[in-house]
Amino acid sequence: MSREKDTTYEVPIGPIHPALKEPFLIKFKLKGEEIVDAEPFPGMNHRGIEFMGMHRNPMEVIPLSERICGICSIVHQHMFTTATEHALSIEPTNRARYIRTIMCELERIHSHILWAGVAAHEIGFDTHLHFTWKIREKVMDLLEYIAGNRVNYSMWTFGGVRRDITEEMYPKIFETLEYYENLYEKLEEIFLEDPSIKLRTRGVGVLTKKDALELCGVGPTVRASGVKKDVRIDQPYAAYGDLDLDYVIPSRYGFENKGDVFCKTVVRLKELLQSVDIIKKCVEQMPEGEITSEPKKAALLNKLGKSAGEGIGRIEAPRGEAIHYVRLSEERDDVDCWKIRASTYNNLSTYAPMFMGEQIADIPLIAASIDPCIGCMDRAEIIDINRGEVQSYTKEELHELSVKKTKQITKGGVE
Amino acid sequence: MNYELPLSVEEVENYFKEKLEDDVNDFKTEEIKKGLKETGIELIWFTVKRERFRDAVKALAELQTPHLSVASGSDMGENIELIYHFQINYGYPGKEISINMKVHLPKEDLNIPSITDIVPGALTTEREKQEFLGVNVTNIPDSRRLWLEDDFPKDKYPWRWDHEGMEEMSKYVHSEDDETFDKPIAKYPRKKEIEKKKNRQDTMEEEKKKEDGEPDE
Repeated sequence: MSREKDTTYEVPIGPIHPALKEPFLIKFKLKGEEIVDAEPFPGMNHRGIEFMGMHRNPMEVIPLSERICGICSIVHQHMFTTATEHALSIEPTNRARYIRTIMCELERIHSHILWAGVAAHEIGFDTHLHFTWKIREKVMDLLEYIAGNRVNYSMWTFGGVRRDITEEMYPKIFETLEYYENLYEKLEEIFLEDPSIKLRTRGVGVLTKKDALELCGVGPTVRASGVKKDVRIDQPYAAYGDLDLDYVIPSRYGFENKGDVFCKTVVRLKELLQSVDIIKKCVEQMPEGEITSEPKKAALLNKLGKSAGEGIGRIEAPRGEAIHYVRLSEERDDVDCWKIRASTYNNLSTYAPMFMGEQIADIPLIAASIDPCIGCMDRAEIIDINRGEVQSYTKEELHELSVKKTKQITKGGVE
Repeated sequence: MNYELPLSVEEVENYFKEKLEDDVNDFKTEEIKKGLKETGIELIWFTVKRERFRDAVKALAELQTPHLSVASGSDMGENIELIYHFQINYGYPGKEISINMKVHLPKEDLNIPSITDIVPGALTTEREKQEFLGVNVTNIPDSRRLWLEDDFPKDKYPWRWDHEGMEEMSKYVHSEDDETFDKPIAKYPRKKEIEKKKNRQDTMEEEKKKEDGEPDE
C-alpha cells in the first residue's frame, strides 16, 4: 500500500527552447497519467544581455536590445528606447509614434499567427501549421518592405524612428491587411469551430482569475481568464492613446472567461483582427512631420554622455506586458543599470496551476498556450523514483503521444 | 479618507503618506503626455524604509491585487538600491499608475523581507535579485538559483560593481587594449573608464577655454 502511495514520477522536459529569451526545462511530478506538480527551470541560455548592456553606451545598446528575442525584437527595442527617452526627457515626434504603433501591431500579427500554427502542430494538425505559416509570410514580406529586414528591423532611434512609412507604401499595407481580413473567417473556422480542436483545447490548462491576478500573469494568458490587463489601454504608449481600444477578453465575444487553452486561442485570434483595425486607423490618421526629433547623431551622443536619469519603458508585447528599467549616470558613458523583463518571465509562475491535474499528452499544448514557443522542446525523461529506472521520451515521442490523444478523442477521424 | 479606484497620483501619494507617515519619502510624480490626444502616462517614485517595506506592499494590496512588473536593482556604491515596479488601476482605461518603490540596502546588511506571501508572483524576481546582486531575501520559500549555472562562483554577483562583481572574472576575456578582438565585451576596469571620461571632459573644457580665450585676429 505504502508503495502505491509514494509512486510519483518526475518528468523533466526541456531544456532546449530557442524561441524564448531562454530555453528552459520543466520538471513534472506525475501520479500515473496525472500531473501533480510542475516546476519550470529557466536559465539554460542566459546570455547576460543586461550585463553586456551595462558596458555599452545607449546608442550601442539599441541593436543589442533587438537581439533579445527573435520574434518580438521590436518590443525590446521600443522599451529600451522609450525608457532612455524617459530618462533624458526626449520627446519622440508624433509621426514617429504612429510608425512605431504600426510596426508593433505588424509584429503582433506575425507572432499570433506563428503561435496558432505551433498550437495546431502540438495537437497534431500539421496541415494547419503549414497553412498558418504560409499566411504569416505575407506580413513578414510587409515588414521587410517597410524596414528592409525580415527579423531584426533596426527601426528605432532615440526621438523617433529611422525609416519613414511613405504614401507609396500604403497600397501594399492595405493589400496585406485586406488579405488577413478575408482570411480571418477561415482561421476562426479552423481554430474555434473545429470539433477535434475544441475537444483538445476546451477545459484544458485552466488558469483561474484568482491565480492569474495573484501570480502577476500578463497578456493573452490572463486576458483569457477575464483579467483586464493591457498596457495599450491601461497606460497608452506610442499612439495608442489616440485610438479607442477595448480589452480583448472572451466574454466580449460570447464565450466564457474560462482561462483554458480555447479561451487563449479566442483572445489571440480576436487580437489579430484588432491589430488590423489599429494599423488601418494609424495609417489613416498619421500626422505629417519629422520622423525623429534628434536627427543629429553627434549631438545626440553628446547629450547621452552628459545626462543622467532613470526611466521606464513599458509595452504590451504579443505575449503580454514587458518592462525595461534604464538608469544613466553622469560619471560613465555607458548604461549604468538595465533591467529587462520579458512577458514570459511573469507567465512562468502560471505554469504550475495550469498543469495541475492534466495528462502527459497535454503537456505540449499547455506549455505552448502561454506562447513560449514549445517548437524546440527537445527531450523528456521519466524517472521512476521507486525503481530507479530512467525512461526517456524524445520530443517526437511526446508529440506522438499528443497526436495519439487527438486521434483517440476523435476516434481516428483526424489525419 | 476613503480611497476608491481609480486613484489619482495625488491620492496614491496621500495614501502612502497616511499609512506609513515618515517612513516613506522622496516622492516624485511624473506625467508624460503622449500622442495627438495627449493622453498621459503617470508614474510615482518614492523611497520606503526597509523595516516598513512589507507594510507598504500590504497597504498597496488593500487597494487592488498588486501587479508587480519586476524588481530592478543596482549597485549604488555604498548601498544597493532595489526598485519594485508595481502597477495600480489596471482595468481602468488610461488610468494606470506605475508605483516605483525604492528600498536602499546598506552593503553590510543586505537583507530584505520576502513579499511572496502578499504577492505570490514575486518569487521569480526575488530569486533573481538573490543571485545577481547578492541580496538576501529573508523568508523566501525557495532560495535556489534560477538563471545562473550551478558552477558559477557562489560569491560573485554579475550586477555588482565592487570586488564581488565580475571585474576579475571577465577582464581577461576581452581586454580593451587587445586589438585582436574587434569589439570588447566588457570595458574594464570601471574606475579606468570613469577616469577616462573625466579626462576627456577636462580636455574638452580646456580646449573650449583656449578657443574662448584666444583674441580675435
